[in-house]
Amino acid sequence: MHLIDGPVPASAIAELLAKAGNDAESGAHSLFVGQVRRDEVEGRQVKGIEYSAYEEMVITEADKISKTILSEFNDVRGLEILHSRGLVGAGEISMVVLASAGHRKQAFSACSKAVELIKEKLPIWKKEIFEDESGRWKANEAL
Amino acid sequence: MEVSVLFFGVLADVTGTRIRHYNEVRSFGDLRHRISDDFPELFHYNFRIAVNNEIVDSDPVLQPGDEIAFLPPFAGG
Repeated sequence: MHLIDGPVPASAIAELLAKAGNDAESGAHSLFVGQVRRDEVEGRQVKGIEYSAYEEMVITEADKISKTILSEFNDVRGLEILHSRGLVGAGEISMVVLASAGHRKQAFSACSKAVELIKEKLPIWKKEIFEDESGRWKANEAL
Repeated sequence: MEVSVLFFGVLADVTGTRIRHYNEVRSFGDLRHRISDDFPELFHYNFRIAVNNEIVDSDPVLQPGDEIAFLPPFAGG
């Protein structure tokens, strides 16, 4: 688990994949990329999201998520999580999850479950920032 | 005992601070009363409490140096 200042650069995803390739026993990598959406709220457009985190707890909880995934999916060989802190503009990447497994089925399932656990368990908060620089704290919605 | 109290997300805005130190804390109940006196509006919000990075469900037993965090509903992703 790594917290990254600002948006997650596409190069960080390439680095994750390159690193995952070092494990030649894996046959499938499932990648989730979360992007800040330009929502419209009461006529105002979201310019970006300001993320804040309880960093020490994020690391300990992410470690628990990895252990849960690895114990629940016996074909999964690794889980990587990147998440932004600070301001991420609309259209930029705020989260990346990469689940590596021997075969595709568990890679897909593990990636999906990890994303849900991240949203449920990691102490991270987001404030939508509008074009007039006003802000609004936002809670996670189902799916 | 002395403990640190952290506020996150909307609660940092509500209290106007991210961290506050409390001295001569006798118990969690005592701490809660003092925080309530300092930031009465805090208790209008939903939150969970963590002690040293672990969520606690009931009134925890505090130790000197503990870090108590007020956590509004999570919103990662």
